[in-house]
Amino acid sequence: MRMSSKDIGQLSEQDHIRLANSIMRRQAGLSLRVAAIFLFLLLGLPLFNYLYPEAANTPVLGFTATWLMLGVLFFPVTWLLSAYFVKTSDRIEEDCMDWRSQLGREAGEPIEPQGVDDIKPAFISNEAEVKE
Amino acid sequence: MNASLIPLAFVILIIVTTIGLGIYATRMSHTASDFFVAGRSVSVFWNASAISGEYLSAASFMGIAGLLMKNGYDALWYPVGYATGYLFLLLFIAGPLRRFGAYTIPDFAEGRFDSPAFRKIAVIFVLFIGFFYTMPQMKAAGVTMFTIMGWPYWVGIVVVGVVITFNVALGGMKGITFVQAFQYWAKVFAITAPVFILMSVYGGYNGSLGANLALPKGTPTLAESKTIQYKGATGAPANALAFSPAGVSRVTFPQGATLEKVSPARKPMAGEDPMPASAVGILLPPNPKESIPIGDPGIGGVIARLPVSADATPLTTTTHVRLPAGTTLIATPYIVTKAGQQVMKAGKPVKTAPKIEFLDPTPVLFPIGALVPNAPANRSWIQPFGTLTGKFGYPLLYTYSLIIALVCGTAGLPHILVRFYTNPDGRAAKRTTLWVMVLIGTFYLFPPIWGALGRAVVPALYANSTTDSVVIKLPMALSNKLLGQVLSGITAAGAFAAFMSTFSGLLVSMSGALAHDIYGRILRPNSSQQERLVAFKVAAVAFGAVSVGLGMLVESFDIAMMVSWAFAIAAASYFPLLLLGSWWRGLTKQGAATGMLAGGLLSLGAIVTSMLIDKKVVALDLSPLTRSLMEQPAIWGVPLALIVMYVVSKLTASHIPTDIHLKMLRLHAPEELGLSKNYIEH
Repeated sequence: MRMSSKDIGQLSEQDHIRLANSIMRRQAGLSLRVAAIFLFLLLGLPLFNYLYPEAANTPVLGFTATWLMLGVLFFPVTWLLSAYFVKTSDRIEEDCMDWRSQLGREAGEPIEPQGVDDIKPAFISNEAEVKE
Repeated sequence: MNASLIPLAFVILIIVTTIGLGIYATRMSHTASDFFVAGRSVSVFWNASAISGEYLSAASFMGIAGLLMKNGYDALWYPVGYATGYLFLLLFIAGPLRRFGAYTIPDFAEGRFDSPAFRKIAVIFVLFIGFFYTMPQMKAAGVTMFTIMGWPYWVGIVVVGVVITFNVALGGMKGITFVQAFQYWAKVFAITAPVFILMSVYGGYNGSLGANLALPKGTPTLAESKTIQYKGATGAPANALAFSPAGVSRVTFPQGATLEKVSPARKPMAGEDPMPASAVGILLPPNPKESIPIGDPGIGGVIARLPVSADATPLTTTTHVRLPAGTTLIATPYIVTKAGQQVMKAGKPVKTAPKIEFLDPTPVLFPIGALVPNAPANRSWIQPFGTLTGKFGYPLLYTYSLIIALVCGTAGLPHILVRFYTNPDGRAAKRTTLWVMVLIGTFYLFPPIWGALGRAVVPALYANSTTDSVVIKLPMALSNKLLGQVLSGITAAGAFAAFMSTFSGLLVSMSGALAHDIYGRILRPNSSQQERLVAFKVAAVAFGAVSVGLGMLVESFDIAMMVSWAFAIAAASYFPLLLLGSWWRGLTKQGAATGMLAGGLLSLGAIVTSMLIDKKVVALDLSPLTRSLMEQPAIWGVPLALIVMYVVSKLTASHIPTDIHLKMLRLHAPEELGLSKNYIEH
């Protein structure tokens, strides 16, 4: 039986590892990228206030610059970040719907024809010793 | 009709509507599953409205406005943290948690680690966080009813607590989905509509801030003479009257006063000289009826000097100073010295003024134009690192710790996370989160405007530490009394919607945890659905009663501050569990449990100790750095929990569940692949 004709419920645990690795790696990469931008802004502002009080307290439209940034502009910026995340994350999931090609991509080569039961359960051995 | 009854009418309207919607929805709630999570048929928009409605608590509605009025810029971190914390939830937790098919965090804990024992540990924090979060809701209820009706603080709490508890016990959460969504829109209306009218009268957001920029050394003053009621020693820490360092202040005690303590407003640092005797004096009335037990008994019109406690040591009961009715007190600012040398900060000498605390409830008469006590000067109000984050002398540390608590805590609130189960799938959960950010972000633009207007229009609220009532008091200052009462009624109704919705959500998640996790899984695994429903109702009534009791103890704490404590505990317990549980295969139940207990319990301990010190229940002489780390523990609590989880998991790696990769697929793969399963089968 060829892998590509398998039902999703028949995947071996080896396949679970590959599929999980593939999906998680891409989603985590996206989450971390967006989080990095967010944390840079969020944690950078107090430091900016601390190091450059003159610039932070410059009057702008009756606000101070830092008040305008934190109290007004910060919200729409996070909306844009969220919208970008949701859109990109959806695209990753659509890719994942084609799980057969995901499995192939993760393995780095076309999948060998193989019976489901042939794969031995000693598959997590790299990460940890598994109790049966 | 008596105009003062208008706010009450609005409050009754919102309560009746809320209960009416609850009863209507109960008829549509049939199975236990509907009762607990409102089915899974809620659309993204309505679910986002309901999450927002549940999330926008009294802390958001009243607390932020009050805290911003009190502390200025520093308090802006609260709305920003409350709103943008959802980004972390979106990036790391929303999708996986929904996909896993667990409806509560204890479900997740059990399913992720195949460990019923871990469920028992995980459920504890639902209760800790829940109780911490209900305390400020209760305070808001008491303050609102006192402000609009003049009811004693505890009466408002009892009335509101009973109404909401019965609504939850009878309606369950299906009712609350509709009600919460309705309440979001009610709250948005209540916070926005009145403020636009007020801005048209008193000037815009930037106008009320600009006044502070124009006069950096200024302090708010009273536009007319005013008698302000102070709480006695039981009201600590909100019983103090700290005179402004901007000038000499004179106040009169129409009914006399007993001073518990006279000390410097700015807590002296190590080595600084005590307050000079010239700083505070009293002017006796012409014919004193009572003698004054201090040095010179005094004759009419003679200034006497008060004994001053050099530091934080209160005067003992035997030295309480009794001032007769009509006595005037004069407080003079002075420059802080250290061994005779002026203490400088940023090139300027540091000034402070005396602070007095009363033993009993005391009215104090302030003359027209008086500098408002307890109000920070314009500059420290509008600039970062003012009275909130700067209070222990480590403003940057305090700021970062607060940010971590709010951002990570949002991602670990049990009553919010349970709502993600009402999304049909993981993708909808992410869309819902995006909508929630837009809905609550829009809301959070407004409470700071109330705070800024409040500073300009009703500065008397500083004097006796009642800034938490600014959203209700501010409209009452309008010269058109009828309009003022109507607007005040709208905000009072909004405040009610706020604490009703959040309290309901908390009560459901606490009672749900008890009925579903403790009773249904641990005590009586074979119980019928009917029995679990009864357990839920009994638990709701019991938790409602405990919350009312706790609410009575916290009148003197800032609403927003108490909520940040609930967030700090969530951030150090559930957030690390959910983050690592969703993304790190190597996490074991031992690691997760120890990390959660270490971070959560130590944070809880630090916060409770901090509260007891503020309340003057315990006296501990701790360094300002320690006090800062205890009041805002997230900066060490979150990393501690994460590190403990990592280390213990590494040590117990043999306990990683055997099907961990399948679990990870359930968490992250789209539902269409058919790998997900719902933990609670219908």
